[in-house]
Amino acid sequence: MMRLALGSLRRHRGAYLGTFLAAFLAVALLAGAGLLLFSVLTAKPPADRFAATAVVLSGDREVTLQTVRKKKDKVKTKTKSERLTGAGTLPADLAGRIAAVPGVADAVADYAFPVAFPVRGEDGAPVVGHGWASAALTPYTLEQGRPPAAGEVVVDADLAARGGLSTGDQVPITTRTGVRTLRVSGVAAPAGRDGLPAQGAVFLADREVPAVSGLAGPTAIGVLAAPGADRAALAAAVRAVAGDATLLTGADKVRGDLPGALPDYIGPISIFGFTIGITAFAAVFVLTGTVALGVRQRLRELALLRTAGATPGQLRRLLGLESVVLAAVAAVPAMPLGVVVARVVAARFRALGAVPAQFTVGVNVLVLGGAAAAGVLVTFVAARIAGRRAVRIAPTQALVETATAPRGGLLVRVLAALVTAGGAVAVLSFVPLGGPLGMGMSFVSSALLLCAVAALGPVLVRALTAVVGRLTRVAGVTGWLAGTVARVESRRVAAVAVPLVLMFAVNATMLLNSSLLGRLTADEHAARNAPATGQVTGPAGLPLDAVGDLAALPGVTGAAATLPTRAIVAQGGKPEDHPSQGLFLAGREAAIDLGVREGRIGGDDTFAASSYLVRQYGWRVGDEVPIWLADGYQVTLRLAAVYERARGFGDMALPAGLVAAHDPRGLVAAVALRYDGDVASRIRERWPALRVTPTAEAVRAGDAQNQQGAWELMVVISLGFTAIAVVNTFAIATAARRREYADLRLAGATAGQVHRMVTGEAAITVAVGLLLGAAVAGIVVGAFSTAQDGVFRLIVDPVTYAGMLAGVAALGMVAGALPIRLVLRRRALPAVADGR
Amino acid sequence: MTPTVVEVLDVTKSYPGSAGVRALDGVSVGFAAGTFCAVMGPSGSGKSTLLHCAAGLDRPDSGRVLLAGQEISGLREPKLTTVRRRRVGFVFQSYNLMDSLSVWHNVLLPQRLAGVRPDRSWAREVMRRVGLTGRENDRPGQLSGGQRQRVALARALAGRPEVIFADEPTGALDLSTGREVLALLREAVDGFGTAVIMVTHDPAAAAWADRVVFLADGRIVAELADPTVEKVAAQMTAVSAR
Repeated sequence: MMRLALGSLRRHRGAYLGTFLAAFLAVALLAGAGLLLFSVLTAKPPADRFAATAVVLSGDREVTLQTVRKKKDKVKTKTKSERLTGAGTLPADLAGRIAAVPGVADAVADYAFPVAFPVRGEDGAPVVGHGWASAALTPYTLEQGRPPAAGEVVVDADLAARGGLSTGDQVPITTRTGVRTLRVSGVAAPAGRDGLPAQGAVFLADREVPAVSGLAGPTAIGVLAAPGADRAALAAAVRAVAGDATLLTGADKVRGDLPGALPDYIGPISIFGFTIGITAFAAVFVLTGTVALGVRQRLRELALLRTAGATPGQLRRLLGLESVVLAAVAAVPAMPLGVVVARVVAARFRALGAVPAQFTVGVNVLVLGGAAAAGVLVTFVAARIAGRRAVRIAPTQALVETATAPRGGLLVRVLAALVTAGGAVAVLSFVPLGGPLGMGMSFVSSALLLCAVAALGPVLVRALTAVVGRLTRVAGVTGWLAGTVARVESRRVAAVAVPLVLMFAVNATMLLNSSLLGRLTADEHAARNAPATGQVTGPAGLPLDAVGDLAALPGVTGAAATLPTRAIVAQGGKPEDHPSQGLFLAGREAAIDLGVREGRIGGDDTFAASSYLVRQYGWRVGDEVPIWLADGYQVTLRLAAVYERARGFGDMALPAGLVAAHDPRGLVAAVALRYDGDVASRIRERWPALRVTPTAEAVRAGDAQNQQGAWELMVVISLGFTAIAVVNTFAIATAARRREYADLRLAGATAGQVHRMVTGEAAITVAVGLLLGAAVAGIVVGAFSTAQDGVFRLIVDPVTYAGMLAGVAALGMVAGALPIRLVLRRRALPAVADGR
Repeated sequence: MTPTVVEVLDVTKSYPGSAGVRALDGVSVGFAAGTFCAVMGPSGSGKSTLLHCAAGLDRPDSGRVLLAGQEISGLREPKLTTVRRRRVGFVFQSYNLMDSLSVWHNVLLPQRLAGVRPDRSWAREVMRRVGLTGRENDRPGQLSGGQRQRVALARALAGRPEVIFADEPTGALDLSTGREVLALLREAVDGFGTAVIMVTHDPAAAAWADRVVFLADGRIVAELADPTVEKVAAQMTAVSAR
């Protein structure tokens, strides 16, 4: 059996090339996506600021909720938590108590707070401020100068080099408590390098830290062990004193650091999660279709084997074995290609800022092996399923000019189509497409619809080719031939059209949806800022106090300051964080228009929420809601207003003072001002560092740009793969029809006539593919669009839509017409005489 | 003297790939219009190659081929196809029909490809003569081997060609069906005035012809006029024994 399989593979190398290529690409993409996801899930922090410590105690880094349910006699405890973007604090006296524990050489109270500094660290790393005592934790040792006194600061060597700073220079430092100018008293560095990767460090005098940082206590306590002390006993003793503060040892110590100082991989995890989902779907879809097409071409050969005495079971085993060998051989070069793909994608994402600069792709043999195994498995299953009917072919079909497969299976197809289409409709109806999962869910529903189209392919295509086929008559005898053949061979047309449907539907949906989101966000942003005359921004943000001064300027009639943050609310014991803003309003006229639908924005014990959030949590105006701020501080606020324009803003508007006090950064991103007169120049005079941008010119950048770039990169990958699938499928289908083309030449067709017929068939296939693709895309985009703002849109962006149509059509025409030129190159008719 | 419809002049052709092994080694033969000629020889004698060169399906390495007085050996595509399809019909062992087209469309296909308005009444007459009336809408997949060969013959005749080239037309058929096809070929010659050039290895089939030409090792070695089965068989044995 193995010999038979290997023999037939070697003989018909050309015929298997298509399947080989599909398997090769599928495994490469799966390997690449798998490596990306694996690397991001196992990414370790680049360096440990607490390297010199034995144990670290940290304040809260997450909000944990426990719900206890009693069911008869059993007590069920459910614990759910959500990460904080800030750091909770520990009691200020705890360090002293820890220091008294035997075996402890010193307990250092570590204050970590983000500062805005003239220069950032390596690869744009944030700068974090500490008290000088924290230098012992890494340790940072002085290279120049002396430790900081009041009004002074020690900077790390990396920042000093970048900023051209040396002892004696004056630098401005901005924290949430204000702007201060400090004198550089020295330069420090950790052992063997200029600074820690992923965070720059500045050290202030310990006495000044609480006032400058606004922190009520240390964010962590680093415990340095006495030499020779038993680490385990030490940890136990410290825990006894520490109570329920979080105790971290070993590799976990890093988590005691400020969350903003550690590279954030949560966003990339979801991006790469989607990437692997999209890749896996496309790979499986295309591979299955290609294998099925390949099996269908070999019906005559299978029938011949049946005449030689092979049972259907043996043929099944043969097909399975061939596919396993083919896929295994394809997987070998595919794995290194997958590594290359992952590295290229990672580099691009780094450039876009969608992943931290420290992100690297590690080569993991298990992941690569898993991708190869998946590719082999999919090919095997596809060959078995495709051959399921084919192996039962009657031996007499071998004597027939064109073997026909045993018909049937319509019921299975219809069932499969109903199930997948039903799933798609369910996803579109019940999943809130307006939420953060919207893009991903729209992809899932388009994938399900594609499966439905593939299942019902021949039936749908037969109906479509009946119409489109008649239209080609206008093109003369070749058009008539193309139309007639297409109508009869609707199964083959369907098999070739499906990759086209895939290519258009998946990519058009992603592009159009993300374009729609971008446009809606930009529109809401403009509408929000419409009442303001100008926006005031600082190089790294303004402290909240400064806003009062701005609002008090003569000529200013209204001011609105926003502090970006994240806040956590809980429902049913599950805490979830949402992007939010601290909001400060002043003046008699509104400088910001949130589109308040219900209620009115109120005082410091109230908050406002977006209509999306209110719907999700079932709140009503007047409800008292517990909210956790960025450092875990819990506060209960009354819901005073519901607003519409949340895109690019946040789902909650909280009192600015609370946010300034409890978000680690706590700085105002922008102040919207409404004014008459020459306020702008007055601001520039008094605060030269600030920028005033008239509302009409304001351009929004930032987070959304990265997400957009990431989606676009995925579209490029997806387009590339589906394009190759289209070309591949056309090539396989054409190669199998060489005899048919030779017969046509014998009947008197010139080479040009055959080319024209093939072009006509390609045109029909492309038309059918685009019609089905447009239908799928229309359903998904329409539902997505309606979920966003109630408006049903099919096209969203005519330029993108037309571009996709033209691109897919062009590729299909080239893929359909090119192979025939290679097949029919010779003038002689080689395949004519003896039925070869 | 009846005019020659196909003339082969000193044609040589080597097998592709093999150096120097000649399929045809300086063959010259003329085929008269409106006659039935069989070409016979042992396997490897080059008879199918001769047919392909004479029909313009293949280019000889040297020599000339004339079709109805026009030299086709020097023609290039697509001119070669346009000249050939007006004057030539084919009936091959594998029927070379288009499986996606009905019998009727298959019969008319060569004329449509030639851009000529199909003569439908003539096509219906031809269908009647080959005995396929009533099967116009069937597809080749639904017919028996003999019926498919008759469709191929009808297709060849429908264009009113000057010559029909047949390569082992009865090879895949049983005795009685084969006899029917040969009778139809005979009628094409006698009734329609078409010339038929048929390659065969079967002496019984060759006996239907007016003249038999024998090939061996790429050369014409014998000819027989007014053949009978016995004479053909005897000549074949003599040729094969060389």
